[in-house]
Amino acid sequence: MALRISMGQYVPRGSCIHRLDPRAKVGAALAVMITVFFVQTPAQLAFALAFAAAVLGLSKVPVRQALRSVRPLVVMLFLLGLFNLLYVQEGHVLLALGALRITTDGLWYAICYPLRFTVAVLMGALMLFTTTPTQLTDAVDACLAPLSAVGLPGHELAMVFSLMLRFIPTIADEAQAIVDAQAARGGAVGEGSLAHRVRAIGPVVVALLASSAHHAEGLSRALDARCYEGGSARSHWHPLHMAGRDWLALAICAAYVVVLLLLGML
Amino acid sequence: MQPSATIARGDAAVSLSHVSLHFETDVQALVDVSLEVAPGERLCVLGPNGSGKSTLASVICGLLAPDAGSVTLVGEPVLRDGAVDFAAYRRARRNLGLVFQNPDDQLVTTVVEEDVAFGPENLGVDPAQIGERVRRELHRVAMQDYAKADPTRLSGGQKQRVAIAGALAMEPAVIVFDEPGALLDVRGRRSIMRVMDALARDGITQVHVTHFMEEAFAADRVIVLDHGRIALSGTPDEVFSHERELRALGLEPPFAARLSELLRDRGVDVPWTCDDAELKASIASACAASHPTADDSGEKDAAPEVEAQTQPAPQDVAVSVEGVSFSYAGSSATRGGAGSRGALEDVSLAVRRGSLTSIVGQTGSGKSTLARLMCALETPDAGRIVVGGIDTRPRKNRRLVHQRIGYVMQHPERQLFAETVWQDVCYGPRNLGLDDAEVTRRASRALELVGLSGREQVSPFELSGGQQRLCAIAGILAMRPAAIVLDEPTAGLDPRGRSELRRILGDLHAHGVTIIQVTHSMEDAARSDQVVVLNNARLLMAGAPREVFTSHNAKMLRECGLGLPAPLAWAIELREAGVSLDLRQGSAPLTTESLADALAAVATPDPRDAHDQGGD
Repeated sequence: MALRISMGQYVPRGSCIHRLDPRAKVGAALAVMITVFFVQTPAQLAFALAFAAAVLGLSKVPVRQALRSVRPLVVMLFLLGLFNLLYVQEGHVLLALGALRITTDGLWYAICYPLRFTVAVLMGALMLFTTTPTQLTDAVDACLAPLSAVGLPGHELAMVFSLMLRFIPTIADEAQAIVDAQAARGGAVGEGSLAHRVRAIGPVVVALLASSAHHAEGLSRALDARCYEGGSARSHWHPLHMAGRDWLALAICAAYVVVLLLLGML
Repeated sequence: MQPSATIARGDAAVSLSHVSLHFETDVQALVDVSLEVAPGERLCVLGPNGSGKSTLASVICGLLAPDAGSVTLVGEPVLRDGAVDFAAYRRARRNLGLVFQNPDDQLVTTVVEEDVAFGPENLGVDPAQIGERVRRELHRVAMQDYAKADPTRLSGGQKQRVAIAGALAMEPAVIVFDEPGALLDVRGRRSIMRVMDALARDGITQVHVTHFMEEAFAADRVIVLDHGRIALSGTPDEVFSHERELRALGLEPPFAARLSELLRDRGVDVPWTCDDAELKASIASACAASHPTADDSGEKDAAPEVEAQTQPAPQDVAVSVEGVSFSYAGSSATRGGAGSRGALEDVSLAVRRGSLTSIVGQTGSGKSTLARLMCALETPDAGRIVVGGIDTRPRKNRRLVHQRIGYVMQHPERQLFAETVWQDVCYGPRNLGLDDAEVTRRASRALELVGLSGREQVSPFELSGGQQRLCAIAGILAMRPAAIVLDEPTAGLDPRGRSELRRILGDLHAHGVTIIQVTHSMEDAARSDQVVVLNNARLLMAGAPREVFTSHNAKMLRECGLGLPAPLAWAIELREAGVSLDLRQGSAPLTTESLADALAAVATPDPRDAHDQGGD
């Protein structure tokens, strides 16, 4: 079912990517994800795809699992790419059928945009696959340190982010259960006309909100009972410290960004 | 673990004096409660749902400040005559642990050891010590082999043990258990009880809130709450001797207490007791006294005569499962720990129209999968399922199947959505395309059946937990299915809720509705017409309770994580102790009443006719 999301789940493997300091990992992943927007030429696209494939290989995350988790998004991106194919009118005309004109530029955008987003989505997925939620929280916490310094709830935001990841599978399972329960009561979600489907989704959303509120209540009780009071006085079982390999990873990432930008100027 | 240094020797770990608390809705949750818990004590708080016991748990672990009274927690005076000292509360909380019902809500990360470390990290414990605590506590709850596992993929009992380890790693002076077993199966509950026994041996102060009286035996002291007041208090024996009051409060006396009472009614000379060993010894001596030469164990262990199970005629079959295999591996993401192993393998069975069938098996045996397949929510990979003559496989048939077979999944109350009870119950009949008059008729009849008449215009979210479940069940009944499948319908209900649900199912059964229930309770299974036992995705056996639950099968059932109904298990043990009970198939006792009758017949040479005292 499309509702079952496998994204964001930690995949325990002892790879060099897993061992990286989460701050280095998150920083590098963000850098790669942002710089995909500079990808304009085939050379750049090939380079970015090769880099993503190399990271995927190093992470030892099963390729099928990684691809499966990004598939729904990628499919959607390619569908959006079709609009480019039909809409962009610059470049040489490849095909003209009445009002429909497909040009070289249109074709290129239809290929390039989804693929460069695929790189970004894959890097994000790999970051989640190779980092435990606790590490991720620590990394986000470190990134949000400037917020905390000026009195904004940086630590708390990091915790919310990590809890969100923790509860995605739980809520997804519950959504499935609700859809099943309503299917068994004749309220088939995902059948019939668009209007019918929109109406059928209402009860699912209400039931899901109710159960989420229930979880939130239990969770807040648990956080209180476990003395969670924000970041200030917390200690860390595995304190973060940047080792040589983390700096090396950042250097490789920086080199990647420089080469990517240079390729764009050729 | 050393108790916290904050408690001076001889002081109470927890002290409540004339505490009252009410919620906005004017509900008095606690009324003038005074209570002391000594260091190292194991206190059990009993009460039906709505008695205020969860509120009391929250007060004891410092999460809720009462409106009136005084509270001292682990040496910190947190509340003095209704005045809250927030700083003291914060200090006290660092020495108090809580484990509650739903393990899913208590786990904050997706790696077991990281989760156990979360509490100590919050307390600012030195990193070197955290590793030590995590190892020690995972070992204590026997979860050391799962340190790197993803808790969301563990069984309920395992998750709950991780939650306990997480609380213990904070080295609390008092640990509060708020119905830790309510959502678990029998096996999970037992594992939690073992952990609590170990904690008691280690001298850790425990407060255990529950509605299972059996769980209160091991406590040093028991208090019983009723409408926010302490109704009874004392040692387990003292409290349990108030049997009538306990029953009136909707608590179910332990099996030994029920049996000893039935035996005394039948004139057998045994003392009233709730202690298993004591009752067994007195029964053995009562029976030996009347039958000094009772030793005719010769013919007993003969293999049970296998009765040829008559296959029901095709028109009598409500649900027919023919060589069905199913695996979740085909779906896009595999969850639920089944891996790529089949969830069901080559299962065949027939459910007779109008019968009550119980499906039993331990967690992961494929029970719920079988239920989902019967309701056409999944289609078999191989074989076929026919419901009322309709094959569930073709997509166009599914709607027809949904009309014939109702599905009440686990915790159906989580699927409520409408603004009012009435609208929720009408949802199914409306989807059937019935006219308004018929929808109204069916909905009001369904609400009447579950005893919710008069609550039509209430929001389903305002009902109590047990009523929410009944409302969800009414939503299925309003569709008038010829058969209804219920997945663990009594899980998480208190005894009153359980007996209410049994009554409703009995009514339906009497009206000729085919009932299929997935259950963990062997006692419930013993009361059905057919028992289906699943083990490791395969059908182990199927037959009438008297064919399945026999002394002959006891070992096999135990090996696949199931027990025997308590009356039969007792009968077997008593026979081993020399009581001459007839345990041949067909005459072995499966209900408490029949066990009492059988024992009465053996004990008294001239038994009074006690058979007219039937009922449960």
